[in-house]
Amino acid sequence: MTSRRDFLKVAGAGAGLVLGFHLEAKPRPGETAKTVFHPNAFLAIRPDGTAQVTVPKTEMGQGVRTALPLAVAEELDLDWSKVEVVTGQPGPDFKSMQTGGSTSVSTTWTPLRKAGAAAREMLKAAAAARWKVEAAQCRTEKGFVLGPDGKKLGYGDLAEAAAKLPVPKDAPLKKAADYRLVGKRTPRFDGPAIVTGKAIFGLDVRRPGQRFAAVLRCAVIGGQPKAWDEAKAKAVQGVKAVVKVPTGLAVIADSTWAAFKGRDALAATTTWEEGAARDFSSPALEAKMRAALTGPADDARREGDPAKALAAAAKVLEAEYSFPYQAHATVEPMNATTALSEGAAEMWMGSQSPNRAQERAATALGLKPEQLKLNVALIGGGFGRRLGTDFSTEAAQVAQAAGGGPIQVVWDREDDLRHDLHHPATLHRLKAGIDGAGALAAWTHRIAGPAVLRSWTGGQKAPSQAATETNGAYDIPYAIPAVAVDFAEVEAPTPLGWWRGIQIVPNVFARECFLDEVAHALGKDPLRFRLDLLGDRGIVKFGRDEADIRRLKKVLEVAATKAGWGRKLPAGHGLGLACHAYDGRTYAAEVAEVSVVKGRLKVHKVTCAVDCGLAVNPAGLEAQVEGGIAFGLSALFSQITWEKGRTVQTGYHDFPVLRLADMPVVETHVIPSAEAPSGMGEPPVPVAIPAVLNAVFAATEKRIRKVPIEDGLI
Amino acid sequence: MPAYQLTVNGRARTVDADADTPLLWVLRDTLGLTGTKFGCGQGVCGACTVHLDGKAVKSCQTSLKEATGHAVVTVEGLSKDGSHPVQKAWIAEDVAQCGYCQPGMIMSAAALLKRKAHPSDHDIDEAFADHVCRCGTYPRIRKAVKRAAGGVK
Repeated sequence: MTSRRDFLKVAGAGAGLVLGFHLEAKPRPGETAKTVFHPNAFLAIRPDGTAQVTVPKTEMGQGVRTALPLAVAEELDLDWSKVEVVTGQPGPDFKSMQTGGSTSVSTTWTPLRKAGAAAREMLKAAAAARWKVEAAQCRTEKGFVLGPDGKKLGYGDLAEAAAKLPVPKDAPLKKAADYRLVGKRTPRFDGPAIVTGKAIFGLDVRRPGQRFAAVLRCAVIGGQPKAWDEAKAKAVQGVKAVVKVPTGLAVIADSTWAAFKGRDALAATTTWEEGAARDFSSPALEAKMRAALTGPADDARREGDPAKALAAAAKVLEAEYSFPYQAHATVEPMNATTALSEGAAEMWMGSQSPNRAQERAATALGLKPEQLKLNVALIGGGFGRRLGTDFSTEAAQVAQAAGGGPIQVVWDREDDLRHDLHHPATLHRLKAGIDGAGALAAWTHRIAGPAVLRSWTGGQKAPSQAATETNGAYDIPYAIPAVAVDFAEVEAPTPLGWWRGIQIVPNVFARECFLDEVAHALGKDPLRFRLDLLGDRGIVKFGRDEADIRRLKKVLEVAATKAGWGRKLPAGHGLGLACHAYDGRTYAAEVAEVSVVKGRLKVHKVTCAVDCGLAVNPAGLEAQVEGGIAFGLSALFSQITWEKGRTVQTGYHDFPVLRLADMPVVETHVIPSAEAPSGMGEPPVPVAIPAVLNAVFAATEKRIRKVPIEDGLI
Repeated sequence: MPAYQLTVNGRARTVDADADTPLLWVLRDTLGLTGTKFGCGQGVCGACTVHLDGKAVKSCQTSLKEATGHAVVTVEGLSKDGSHPVQKAWIAEDVAQCGYCQPGMIMSAAALLKRKAHPSDHDIDEAFADHVCRCGTYPRIRKAVKRAAGGVK
């Protein structure tokens, strides 16, 4: 007999998950451990027929609490109305809950289906034994096992018997043609809780005796308080204590408002040791980046002889592109709640890195990770920000300094903008060599800026740094005889982090806009030019990635056709397009229709074609396209700039994000595919910016090479 | 500290807090109604929107003193069971992504439709001008408002 744990190891192998019994499936009143069918960490079926699916990733709006349970429910033929969804907890059951890189569906799709399929075979076997028939004579449908002669038993009635059976190793998976749930539009599982205000985000956690804390941090990166008068803070009604923590001074109070007021009072008395970063500024960084455009760099891709091809070219085009620091600006500010007891801790938070958060907070507290129970709440916006563990470790330190908690540390909007793990600025220099026959013979793309990857490697320079920082540039999919893409690192003292679409956003912006410049310079239609450069190729390898050029061409053609590429437009209107094969897994093309009237840009419509393999939940997929485009368009107008070591921006008033009135119509076309599903959280973001700016050129013949678009530039 | 009296979701409440305490924190920290969200505290994101005597207001910019003697309705009080036409439309259009800003959006939508049963696109633009959804649910918000149009009494 295969033990349950053995099965789980097999089932989880593909995703790096080693799974076991999950606490959340413990028996409820009226049940016993024997009557709950709990064959793996993902699934428990209760005697009343309720199926509890535990999601091994965190929900931040990208829909994993809907899409991932669908995979289990599909194989198990669950009644979707009887599915309950819980989020897993980091620990032995869920060792890799990290949620980022648009990988949640692709990494869990197979293990989740296997978990459902194994349970289905066990329920069939239990029914067959009861009916004294062969399991092969049984089938499943919507929460029931059906047998010969109209026999029918609910999963709940079979739960206890199924729990006694061995877990099969290789339960057959369904054919896609037999899917009843996957591929259909399923509304967000948490929708009803969200619209009634019942959904619990990290900031909504309330524990008995809970207090609230705000941390006074130096506005200058890395600065520390030198002197302060805590009496001023304590004079505020509701303030209980002021404690020193590594990031600053924490004001503990019996309400969030009292903590904020106490912090304001404390700030007025505090002097700072601003430290080495006090002279850091955006203009100074830009000067360093510009110098780095011509200095040494690390190769990410080098094919042919670009220098020779450029020297021999009949015509060389050259341009500089610029993308600023960006903030995540999640609407739910950072927060985490901590309760300490002797030799143990419990935390509640929204985290995209629950395992890292657990490990680092535990270390800060002098505990082992298993001594810290981390409860993952819903996330009020992630976009990469909550991959960071700065806020969770700080919250643990506040609770420890304040004597145990439970304490909820709450950031406000200014904290969020100032102490974000920002996505860094980059400068890009691109050159294109056109040969005597008018063909694109050489392409070089130099990227200069701080390296995001170091924020993930403890400050070390990883071997993959150049590839990571040039992602979206080094994998330029067009057939060009000589290509050089390299990265010149420029140091900056700012803490950095991943951002929705990562470096692919600035890199694809520069690449796809410059390619548009080349097309126009050659008098070629930008769509035709791209299709010709993509050519008749299949799978092409770019360093660590490969992409199927046929799939990329297909999305480009579909987006262009659906958008009416080439049609006559009203005066002042323009169409622009861009495409990208995201990490070689998800293919996206967008056509933007814009108008520029009296210098004011309006994006009317974005037509998007995507190929992400099998679309597990088309409703969720379309939401990601709409949201990704909104995120990209926001970046056209937002930036973080630095002065005297601190951000200039402190809120949504000076870090504008897209509002409803400026949201274009989005039309999404999903390419039907039987390929394994990939992700859709990020791929729509990078193509939105160049599609819009190429449309601006089509409308105005003005080429915008700098984001954000400055007033009066159009 | 004087006690302040207000009606929240139809229930009379007495609150002991400073007069300048924003209604947002009275709701969330004192009364335990966490459906109303904190987004910016600067009056520019709309996540904290509630109804004050039927009108949409930002609870982070409304003091306890200003709310005293008035009827406050939060997302928890919009309906007993999610049956308000705006909540139903929100489900039908599958609006929410992360969902954090949605209670504020829903409260603004409900106030708009009470004021104007059949709002134009321009009315919708204006009603949500002070709201932020970083996930980008805007197209579905517009659709949901139109779906609920005429249904709010």
